[in-house]
Amino acid sequence: MTAVVDDAPGSGSVDSGAAQVRREQWRELRKSKTFLVGATILVFWIVCAVIGYRVVPHTPFEQDLLHTNASPSTQHWFGTDQIGRDVFARVITGVRVVLVVAFLATVLGTVLGTVLGLITGYMRGWVDETISRFVDALLALPLVITAVVVIAALGPSNVTVTVCIGVIFAPLIARTVRTAVIQERELDYVTAARLRNERGPYIMLFELLPNVLSPVMVEFTVRLGYAVFTVATLSFLGFGIPPPTPDWGDDIADNISVVTAGYWWEVLFAAGAIASLVIAVNLVADAIEKVTDE
Amino acid sequence: MAVYILKRVGLALITLWILSMIIFWVGQQLPGDPGRTILGNLATPAGVAALDHKLGVDRSIVTQYRDWVTNLAHGDMGTSYSYQAPIRPFITTALVNSLKLALVAFLICVPLAIASGVIAALKSGQWIDRSISVFGLSLLGLPEFVSGVFLIMIFGIWLNVLPVGATPPAGAGPLTQVYHLILPAIAIACVLFGYIMRMARAGTIEALNSDYTRTAVLKGLPTRTVVWRHVLRNALLPTITVVATQIGYLIGGLLVVEYLFHYNGIGSLTFKAAQAKDFPLLEATVLTIGVVYLVATLIADITYTLLNPRLRIGGDR
Amino acid sequence: MHRDPQKLDQLRNGRSEIENHIIDEYVLGRISRREFLRRGSIIGLSIPLLGAIATACGGANSSSTASSGSTGTPKAGAKLRIAGVVPTSAINPAQIYDEGGLTMIQQTGEYLSFNDPKTNILQPMLATSFKPNADASVWTYTLRPGVTFSDGTPMTANDVVYSFQQNTNPKVYVNAASVFNGVLTNDGVKKVDDQTVEFHLEAPNGNFSYLISSDNYNMIIVPNGTDYSKWQKTFIGTGPFKLTSYQANTGATFAPNHSWWGGKVLPAELQHIFYQTQQPQITALQGGDVDIVNLIVPAGAEGVLNNPDYTLLDTKSSQHRELSMRCDKAPWDNKLVRQAMALSLNRPEIAQALFKGYAQLGNDNPFAPFFRSTDTSVPQRAQDLTKAKQLLSQAGHPSGFTTDLYTEDYQEMKNYAQIIKQAAQAIGININLHIDNQATYYKDHWLSGIMSLVDYGHRGVPNVVLTATLTKGGAWNAAHFDNPQYDGLVKQYVAALDLPTQKQIAGQIETLLLDETPWICAYYFDSLSVSKKAIGGVVTTGMGQIYLSGAGPVTA
Repeated sequence: MTAVVDDAPGSGSVDSGAAQVRREQWRELRKSKTFLVGATILVFWIVCAVIGYRVVPHTPFEQDLLHTNASPSTQHWFGTDQIGRDVFARVITGVRVVLVVAFLATVLGTVLGTVLGLITGYMRGWVDETISRFVDALLALPLVITAVVVIAALGPSNVTVTVCIGVIFAPLIARTVRTAVIQERELDYVTAARLRNERGPYIMLFELLPNVLSPVMVEFTVRLGYAVFTVATLSFLGFGIPPPTPDWGDDIADNISVVTAGYWWEVLFAAGAIASLVIAVNLVADAIEKVTDE
Repeated sequence: MAVYILKRVGLALITLWILSMIIFWVGQQLPGDPGRTILGNLATPAGVAALDHKLGVDRSIVTQYRDWVTNLAHGDMGTSYSYQAPIRPFITTALVNSLKLALVAFLICVPLAIASGVIAALKSGQWIDRSISVFGLSLLGLPEFVSGVFLIMIFGIWLNVLPVGATPPAGAGPLTQVYHLILPAIAIACVLFGYIMRMARAGTIEALNSDYTRTAVLKGLPTRTVVWRHVLRNALLPTITVVATQIGYLIGGLLVVEYLFHYNGIGSLTFKAAQAKDFPLLEATVLTIGVVYLVATLIADITYTLLNPRLRIGGDR
Repeated sequence: MHRDPQKLDQLRNGRSEIENHIIDEYVLGRISRREFLRRGSIIGLSIPLLGAIATACGGANSSSTASSGSTGTPKAGAKLRIAGVVPTSAINPAQIYDEGGLTMIQQTGEYLSFNDPKTNILQPMLATSFKPNADASVWTYTLRPGVTFSDGTPMTANDVVYSFQQNTNPKVYVNAASVFNGVLTNDGVKKVDDQTVEFHLEAPNGNFSYLISSDNYNMIIVPNGTDYSKWQKTFIGTGPFKLTSYQANTGATFAPNHSWWGGKVLPAELQHIFYQTQQPQITALQGGDVDIVNLIVPAGAEGVLNNPDYTLLDTKSSQHRELSMRCDKAPWDNKLVRQAMALSLNRPEIAQALFKGYAQLGNDNPFAPFFRSTDTSVPQRAQDLTKAKQLLSQAGHPSGFTTDLYTEDYQEMKNYAQIIKQAAQAIGININLHIDNQATYYKDHWLSGIMSLVDYGHRGVPNVVLTATLTKGGAWNAAHFDNPQYDGLVKQYVAALDLPTQKQIAGQIETLLLDETPWICAYYFDSLSVSKKAIGGVVTTGMGQIYLSGAGPVTA
């Protein structure tokens, strides 16, 4: 899904023509209902991530041992968990670590992937072939399984999870960038640069990169949703963010065993939170994709 | 055609070989050791070291890899360190179980998704189209364990109409097995639905707008015939590609679903192996998954080529 | 109470000094009848004899084996399905250390004696009687005649000697090493004749009979020459069941052994099904897919705990968690600081929150309320935040300090660690939690962490915990505790043979540890199993063993 940047043919730099296109796209975006819904939810969660800890009536760590597993009430809007902690507080504050890790992981993956894509797309030849084989091998493994194995080896911590997800995303993003680069390198401006005796890295960085930014941005937003998804899944499996940081996946994993005893609130709200965040990011990503596609 | 297949198979084999090396190396990086898993956390380091030596895990990584590959070539998947039993039966049972689950998920998801996509395309722009698209997009966003949790709570506990565990009691007939697999299959299907529906919709729209369709309509053929005979065939092509690319995702999703619904499939076996630092088992399971993925993509590629007359004749793209 | 002095004298005739001492204690009313039965059985007096003496002293005569579960006589012929936890690795009786594994070996394997879970009194199993010599350094066991293995071969002293030698093997690591270290060596087991075996101990040990009872779950008797690494294929043993099939990840099936020495085996078949976690076990029970769930924790089992459709088998045990503090590192090297930490915990609340009341309070020493030798007159420590803060100031930390706690993600320990953190916060101690998976914790932090929270399973006597966790050089001494007075007291306790002496020394140890507090133990939690109301005759132990030879449907 590459976007063709509407440029005057032959020119190689990002000029006002591109800026104008962007402004138009932004206006379209604001009209799209999917974007608005998604963005609202996303903004809500971002606000929670920033001020959540200060706003909640109980802290996510306070334990009330005499009122464990209490159902939702005016005292505790979402009830309490197995050691009497306020579920509402844990849901609101739990978004922070998920957003931070997912965001950083996606940034890392995008940067690495773009570099990889530029290199393989521009150089082609045996460099491309070798790296592509490796990438294929890695892609034969589902993301979750690779993450589980790597984190089992390294031990869970915020940094490990971020790096692991970022590194695993890189090949996927690299593929898209590579396709875009392959298309771009045939254009006149690249030939012109080569005739000017510009060296490889310069061409990749200053000529090609600005012109493939569009698909890169799209990939970023798409992957962000998947990153949130993966962080939550890894936490659920026990390979994610270590306690006592409030974390949705972790809380679901801890409390899923008592659902059969009737304590549904300990799991439902966190699950709903994950769903809403991932859907919000996906709606935004989808809207951006549509707008840049046309 | 035959050349094409051979070339693809060759590439796949190379990829597989690289994969085996990667897995082997990662497996060796796992902390903890087999001796420790077998003897327990209270065992003395000396005792653990002795057992490790007996198992041969303290040899050089190259030696171990060589032995492993040689055995594999003879069909011997090795012995699990933690179970002290041959690995092959574990893998075959788990693989069969996972395939059953995947099959049920596919049967639920694919017809529904394709139908929704086609309908959305036929009614493009109308509210039905919008709702189906948004619905599909939303489902896309649910991690399997989230939708799994919702399904368990709603259908398994509140309404109590479906079993919460995917493993049927021993000796159950096929119908009971499917009955137990419905909830986990839906959890997997949820995420697949969005992708397949989107591709089917896009493919149908493209086919509807093609010259061939317009000609057929002008010739007076009823819409339904046109749709059935021509549009569907072309809509299926991208769908197959998507299904193929989702195989890898599907297998990963299986891990979570199998864990949540306590099902002994290849996903949960991999997970157990990673937790127990059982290298041979881990390597065997991951390699199996890799093989399944490569085979599936290969089949999908070949089917796509067969179904697409343009590629077959070798004409322009 | 009317006494029969003549009968009593008759029964006393020929008894050894130790045996007479115990009878004296009972006659003088210094120990209860139950205690008398227990102590007497440790030193080898047979149950009928003890019963006769008790009657002669005027007490009612009853045997003590209680079967748990519903009332009514179980019927024969049932096919029982039991949900259990999956064994962690291959079933090698000398190596298994986990609940899943030990449940498997005791289905077909048996011990010299059986520790009755209700009374903590030893019952004869493969040995009909045993007695110590005067200073408890040599124990003589008489084997039950007429016992055969499931393949028909008779059990003799050769098999017993072989089994013990395998489990005291100095060359290969065996799980029972933690029990036999310093107690029994490989050459200490001697055959006297076909039906008699002698144990020559490294040092006098008053509780030895417990150390080789069913409490030592690896100590099943197998035929002479059995390859332990291949035992999994046959499950050969003397017990009421024999193996039909075993699949490592799935389950095991057993058929009755009709030549069992113990009488009729009621069930027609046992089907054990393995699960990774508890939730599907409970669901299976509720759905009717299994009849019994062995070993559950209260968290998550609320649906079946107070439910009249199910019978809860509740066995008191000495399972616990030890929170050790490095006595050789600041700030924990000052005992006032350790006491302060101990005083910050609200134990009854914690026991209620984590175990719904199915636990007893711990008093920061290895003497669980469960043990008979525990001196219960030592006051139970309770929460006292004011005193705790005072002690901290005295120790030079008026505004608290920051420290680290290392523990494992196992059962309720993750939650317990967070409760501890909260409690410490209230007196100004800021704890950074490090919760790892079990393997990493045991490898990197268990014995070195400045605060370390670890799990301990059930044992019938406190010996192992007393020595391993707190004596100088003890293999499990995570607190790095070094107290010569304590070491001396433990030595005395281990050698003591009669109850009053044991109790008296226990009292001293308890008081010393309450003062020093090298580790904190807030609770000892029960072993729980649950069955359908319609099933009776199930016997479970604090260890997690489950005995089903007398189980079946009851009309209750």
